[in-house]
Amino acid sequence: MNDHSGKLLKIALIGNPNSGKSTVFNQLTGLRQKTGNFPGVTVDMKEGRLRFPSGFEATLIDLPGTYSLYPTSSDEKIVTTVLTNPQDDFYPDALVYVADATNLEKHLLLFTQLLDLDLPIVLALNMSDTAAEAGIKVNTTKLAERFSVPVVSISGRTGENIQKLLHELEKLLKTGGASIPPFYPLRDSEKQVSDAVQLNLSVDNPYRALLLAHHHSWLPFLPKQERETLAAIVQTKNFQSLKAQVDETLDRFDRFTPIVRQTILQPSVEPATFTDRIDAFLTHRWFGPLIFFGVMLLVFMAIFFGYDITGGWVENGTSAIVDIIGNSLPDNWFASLLTKGVLPGLQGVLVFVPQIALLFLLITILEEVGYMARAVFIFDKTMRRFGMNGRSIVALIGGGACAVPAIMGTRTISNWKERLITVMVTPFISCSARIPVYLVLIPVALPASSWWTKALIFGGMYFFGLTAALGAAFVFKKILRTSDPSYLALELPVYRMPHWKNVWLTVWEKVKAFIGGAGKIILYISIALWILGNSGPSGALENAENNVRSTAAADISQDSLNDMIAAKRLEASFAGIIGKTIEPAILPLGYDWKIGIALLSSFAAREVFNGTMYTIYSLESVAEIEESEAQNQRPFERYGRLRQQMASDTFDNGQHVYTLATGISLLIFYALAMQCMSTLAVVRRETGSWKWPVFQFLFMSGLAYLCAWLAYTFLPKV
Amino acid sequence: MQRRYRTIPDLKLNESALTLAFTDPALAGKLTAMGVLPGARIELVRPAPFGKAYYIKVDGVRLALREEEAASILLEI
Repeated sequence: MNDHSGKLLKIALIGNPNSGKSTVFNQLTGLRQKTGNFPGVTVDMKEGRLRFPSGFEATLIDLPGTYSLYPTSSDEKIVTTVLTNPQDDFYPDALVYVADATNLEKHLLLFTQLLDLDLPIVLALNMSDTAAEAGIKVNTTKLAERFSVPVVSISGRTGENIQKLLHELEKLLKTGGASIPPFYPLRDSEKQVSDAVQLNLSVDNPYRALLLAHHHSWLPFLPKQERETLAAIVQTKNFQSLKAQVDETLDRFDRFTPIVRQTILQPSVEPATFTDRIDAFLTHRWFGPLIFFGVMLLVFMAIFFGYDITGGWVENGTSAIVDIIGNSLPDNWFASLLTKGVLPGLQGVLVFVPQIALLFLLITILEEVGYMARAVFIFDKTMRRFGMNGRSIVALIGGGACAVPAIMGTRTISNWKERLITVMVTPFISCSARIPVYLVLIPVALPASSWWTKALIFGGMYFFGLTAALGAAFVFKKILRTSDPSYLALELPVYRMPHWKNVWLTVWEKVKAFIGGAGKIILYISIALWILGNSGPSGALENAENNVRSTAAADISQDSLNDMIAAKRLEASFAGIIGKTIEPAILPLGYDWKIGIALLSSFAAREVFNGTMYTIYSLESVAEIEESEAQNQRPFERYGRLRQQMASDTFDNGQHVYTLATGISLLIFYALAMQCMSTLAVVRRETGSWKWPVFQFLFMSGLAYLCAWLAYTFLPKV
Repeated sequence: MQRRYRTIPDLKLNESALTLAFTDPALAGKLTAMGVLPGARIELVRPAPFGKAYYIKVDGVRLALREEEAASILLEI
């Protein structure tokens, strides 16, 4: 269905948090959805295509869940921003309001606010199946009469009455909805303000005018002049915004509660429910935190073993494709760019997809079940001690897969400072790209130690990252200032079985965020690195190659010769020159120019460290074999040839490069340094300026340098 | 003079009381929108494991509130 200008009509889905809105969204749109971005603000918004029974189509927009048009967090602010601005790209032609039928008395405040904005609206009473089980009976006809809007009982889970909802919505779009008197008549003080705003800013709706006055200080679409006019009105009328908000809210509840009571039959006694019995354990003084750590341990073990299995598949599958393409192309620069720049870049992206999907699958299940809200409750105090919010715990866990989607998930934190600190320290959590690097470096640092010691160090790396995150957060807490209010006030939803369609779609969304955000950057940097590694001062690369050919032993195998050429060419290339140029700077950490090149290439993704090391140590042809063997080997027995080569390498003075000191120094550097361009890009997007990502890069890398230097200086070089 | 009200931290476990009013306008806006209304019955379910927060129930809705959020709700004696 189209509007006058021929564009598709826009329908917005709106409701309280925990109203089951996203289930309804997925039910209505299925896979015909994408995640867009509100222009100017950094909140992602889901958009889908709606198909009516008669064949018409419309765009369905999923607005963030909120309790009222008086928002506290940045995702709640979106709702107010969109609905108070008819010029907004997402301003809807009609609304579908999703309310939880099992708790209607708490779910209608926002609904009545929307009624007063004069938008055509359908009231969808969700979870009708659960309500029926609980013995709740809703008289939808009467409810529809009292509110003068169409009302449909639906179930997002079973899909019950979804077609009926579409039918009602289509009818509403055709008729435009009934014009009804305001649900909440403005008080005198509000009316004076609203009238003045209507007059001065030519706003047609009195309630919208009032909202503009309430929110004039932050609504992003207001031009400076209008903002000043609004401020002047608020001041001359002596309008007490906060008090007016509370009075309005209470008045609305007073008006709709009787309506709900007259139209709903609810069993009066509430039995001790399943949720209460479970919470007696999950939020228990001792069991609560213990269970949480147990769950996290299981989650991260699943990730690690999942990485082991799926990483191998992806590696083997994509390597085979790279080989086929490589063999079918002539040996020229283009084939080299494709097989050594673009395809490994793509491979680097794909390798992470299964683990990221797995971690977000587990996180999403915990979230859908209702457990995450309990974790937030348990750890709010702990997180606040470090300047964050209980909600930060979700981001920190997500950081164990990939900081990019984890940072995007911080938008539910209302306080700017708490959110910023969470964004700044999440990259300290060891992400999946660090796993392969740790697996090479731990046995290099401690070749003689037992398997258990190595495993313990591996676990210790995660602990180290977490400690760094909390330590840095604590420092930021002392430095940063904000007047933003900070809230916990969180609904602890009833435990439910996860709705699998929601789970899959959420995981798909996170994976897309990774591919779109991190993936693109990894690819670009891989290409840039290929260029740096395959070009040099004129003739330098050819000279290096000719030198190898003329000095190589006659009986050397073709593979070894090629490997030696690849290594020498890399040394002579711009990448090699950069590595050698920065050598004086990294020598205090125990690193030679070869590690310098590897550090440089880690800017694509940390795991590229391994690939670069293979090339540099003339093992390019071995890399693939060892990567594919890896999945059949115990974690610290992998990459044997590479480790052997690294172990025998020496500085010019004959001292070994890879000692305990250098190994630990490198491990610390990889745990702490900000090496991920994708994360910096997403931090820029989320904080709105380059200031924070630049600062993050400097402090993380500075800390990494300092700690690595201390480790190298004080550890034995054996 | 004796206090005419108490707050959530004063409640015993599983004890409940009727809400009278709020002390902080900003928190009141947030809490009322979530359905914590004057006249509503609040039950203290349990404090958070590490303290500084409370698990409460208001008319069948379960909420987690910080200490200062909980303390801003005045309850009848």
